[in-house]
Order: sequence, then structure tokens, then C-alpha cells
Amino acid sequence: MKHIFTVSNILFISLLAAIFWPSAEQVPWYLLTVIITVKVITLLRIAASRNVQANLGANDVSAIIFTVLLAWYLLTTRYVVLDKMLFPQPEAVLRLFVAELPDMLKGLLNSLILLVSGYCLALATALPLGLVVGWRARLFHAVNPLTKVLGPIPPIVYIPYAIALLPSFRAASIFVIFIGAFWPIFINTVNGVFNIPKGLLDSARVLNLKERTLLVRIILPGAMPSICTGATLALVFAFVLLAAAELIGANSGVGWYIKNFADFADYQRVIVGIIFISIVVTAITWGTERVEKHLLRWRN
Amino acid sequence: MHEVIISNVSYSYGSNLVLRDINLTAEAGDFICLLGPSGCGKSTLLRLLAGLASPTTGSITLDGSTITGPGLDRGVVFQDYSLFPWMTASQNIVLALEQAFPGRKKSDYRETAAGYLEMVGLHDAIDKLPGQLSGGMRQRAAIARVFAINSPVLLMDEPFGALDAITRARLQDLLLQLWQQKEGERKTVFFVTHDVEEAILLANRIVVLGLNPGNVKGVFSVDLPRPRIRQELYLKESFLVLRDKLVTVLHENILSELDGGQTVHPPGEGI
Repeated sequence: MKHIFTVSNILFISLLAAIFWPSAEQVPWYLLTVIITVKVITLLRIAASRNVQANLGANDVSAIIFTVLLAWYLLTTRYVVLDKMLFPQPEAVLRLFVAELPDMLKGLLNSLILLVSGYCLALATALPLGLVVGWRARLFHAVNPLTKVLGPIPPIVYIPYAIALLPSFRAASIFVIFIGAFWPIFINTVNGVFNIPKGLLDSARVLNLKERTLLVRIILPGAMPSICTGATLALVFAFVLLAAAELIGANSGVGWYIKNFADFADYQRVIVGIIFISIVVTAITWGTERVEKHLLRWRN
Repeated sequence: MHEVIISNVSYSYGSNLVLRDINLTAEAGDFICLLGPSGCGKSTLLRLLAGLASPTTGSITLDGSTITGPGLDRGVVFQDYSLFPWMTASQNIVLALEQAFPGRKKSDYRETAAGYLEMVGLHDAIDKLPGQLSGGMRQRAAIARVFAINSPVLLMDEPFGALDAITRARLQDLLLQLWQQKEGERKTVFFVTHDVEEAILLANRIVVLGLNPGNVKGVFSVDLPRPRIRQELYLKESFLVLRDKLVTVLHENILSELDGGQTVHPPGEGI
């Protein structure tokens, strides 16, 4: 019996009751689909895993989602307590989300081109530079003061100047994303090299490795835990800067989408944009976690 | 000929004299144990032999030429960190083989690595990462690596220090087996330990190092016949005599340390 009267189940039933009772004239099909999807995914996860703690967690997550949806539904649809313009109905938002999806995906493509270009540029420069600077003591002492001065500058301050300096908005955004992603990767790579256990370096030295082999096969994987931390941080920075750049000067992309419709006070679409971005970010984070797990699989 | 000559070697770290006037000659095929309390500089001496540091004064020669840096003519096994944790046991050995015998086929390296891993009883662990192996298995793999690159000189820095007694005994036997395998071309071994019985079991000669600064307190020949069987050894008169001698020399050192004007006050004294 305990398994039936969980918070998640009670909220699930309450949501259905709120939708269908006392009358079911206008069934919010999109909302219903989301609610049932969440419930089904939760049940599938619980069925697939025997980890009690994780299963409780999955149940609690669904309970939180249901609480938000229930409050949202009750306060905007059942009893219209909140301002209609600022707080659109869930059903309307979800319907619009589906309708806008093709346009948003096109915008996303533009955004991703900026993001990937800037981020990969940062990775391709900061990583090798960080390895060499971390490895060569003299270079480190030359570069470290510069890092201390330039690293902490919030990259957002470069945006207006970059837009003025560079020929196109696209180039300016890529540049700013590059700067924002560069420092976390660089600093963490240098630190990663420093934190390689001395014993491992001794083992490498007694094998008489060539410097190139040493950097690629020992220093790079040895610094990888720290590099992953830096790369994840850099990705978050890149996202923030992408959104900021698009809010300021773009004519397409996910950041622009939100800014554009906010200008027209179309908060329905603003919320749709925010939901879309959160889904995209979640997907990318999930992907990077996979990559990180693969790269660091040797750490138990 | 893999003769190692250490002549008048001193080593300072900053203003701290770690080793003073070390003189020692190892003939080809010698098995020398460096025995001493922690802090006596025995690991430092091994690092000098490995070329990871240079003597402040004096020199070390291998077959007549001075050691100036690391080289594959000396294989090293450390207590930990011998293997790279992101490479499988096999990949670790392949990397060393690529350095020692460049220009061969990848598959040759892999086959050779597998052969040496089998030799040390790790045929099931060829594709395992060091993190998936026990401490004893990791040291087996490290030993497989130094034998794979076939360096004439073997430097071992307390390689079994972190292992439990049974695993340690097994690995001592394995090491002796491998070392004795080819009569004519035995490797010259320097083996650092603080374990008196381990030293007697393994060595031809035991070099006892003293503290502050590290110096040679005495060199003891171990004339026990090989192969040495542990259970028989412990009953032999000559083993017991040698052990007592070594323990006395080691303790002399520690006691003279304590003599230096220090009085130990038990807690609560003088209330």
C-alpha cells in the first residue's frame, strides 16, 4: 500500500482530477500528454533500476514537476488568479511550443554554429597552450601574471567593443564566446598538469619519452580530470555569452527569439523560448557528461 | 658487463646534506639491497642511479660511462605510480617497448606485452586498467614491464612495501625466479627496502645506510645458497646470525639518534 500512496501518485491523481472534474469540456491534450509522459518515464526508470535511493529520487523529481504543473494549471486556468499576459496558461504555452518548434530549431542551428565555433576555437588553442605552459616552468612564470590579470575580466564587457571591432555580428559573437571559454580551459589545464602525481612523471621520465610523446600520452591524460572541469565550466560560460550576445545584437537564434518577443510583450513565446533553451542545455550537458565519463573511465 | 660504480657520491637538497661520500661497486649480475631506516636517503640514491637527479659531487658510472639522465638501460619499479592509470596493463608495456625497441609493428609489441604479462601470471589482466587490479597485480605488471624492455640494470624502490605479507612473499619469489632465469645474463639489481628479512632473502650483498646524513654503515655479503627457500632459511643458523647483525647495526643508528641530548618525558610527569 505504501507504494501506491506516494506524493508523486497523489499529485498525479490530483492533476487529472483538476483537469477532468467537474467537467471535461475542453481537455488540455498537450498538458495531459506531458503529465502522462512524465509519469510513464518515472515508472519505467523505477522498473529498470533496483537502486532504492535513485528510485526515490526519480519519484520525488516527478512530484516536483507535478506540483509546478498543478499550481500553474490551477492559478491560470482553473481559477484565473495571475495576470493573463505575464502568466499564460500551460496548455497555450505547450501548444505554441509545438507550433514554434520548427522555427526555434532553425534558430538553434544558427546559435549552435556560433557556440561550437567559439568553443572549439577555445579548446583548440587553450588546451595545447595550457599543456605546454603547465609543463615548461619558464613559460609558466612568464604567462602566469598575464593570466592573473586577463583571466578574471568578465567576457561580457568585450561584447560592445567586439561588435564595433569585428566586421560582422557573427564574428563578434564567436570572438566573445572564444574569450569566455578560453580562460577556464587554459587555467584548468595548467592546474591539471601541476596536479599530476610526481611519481607518474618520474615513471614517464625513466622511460625516456620524447617530449611530444610525453605531452600527448602522459601529460594530457594526466591533466584530463582538471581539463574536463575546465571544459564544462567553459561550456556554461559559452552559453551565457551566446545568449548575451544574441540578446544584444543578433537577428536570429534562441537568445534573439526570447529578446524579440519580449520586446513585443509576447510572454507566451518568451516562456516557450526559455523552455526550449532549458531542454537544449540539458541535452548538451547530458552529452558532455557522457564524454567526460568516457575520457575519465580509468578513474574507477 | 653491467658494472655500476658509485664513487664519492654526495647529494644535497638545498642546504640539507642527504647523502655523504657513498662508494659502492656493483658487479654485473649483482643483487644489492639498500637497507636503512626511512630518511636515510636510500630512495635518493636509487633516484641518482635512475638519473632522475644528479649527485652534487662524485659520479656514478654504468659500464664506464657516467650517468647523466634517465635511460632505458636501467629499468625502474617504484612503490606506486609505476603504471599509468589511463592505460591498460598491456598498453603500459607497449609504451615502454615502443621506446626500447622503436620501429616494430604494433601487433609485435602487443604480442610481446601479452607474453610478459603471462610470464608474471597476469594473462587475465592484459586489458585491465591499473585501477581494476590489486596492488600485487599492479606490481607484477610493473615487473613485467622492466623485464620486457630488458634493461641490464634493475632499480627497485621498495616495490613490495605496500603489499600484504603473503602477496609480498609471492612477488619476492617471482622476482628471484625471473632474475635467476638466465644464468649468464643476470641483471644487476639495486633493491631498496627497510625489511631485514626481505634483504637477506633477495640479496647477494646488503648495503646498510645510516642517518643524517645518509652514509654507508656497512656492506654485508649474504652467502646463503640459492635458490633460497623461505621456510628453510628462517631455521638456518647463518640466517639468524646475519639478521641479528643487521638489526644491531640498524638499531645502533636509531639509538644514537635518540642519544642526541633528547630526554623523553612521559605525559603527566612532574605533577
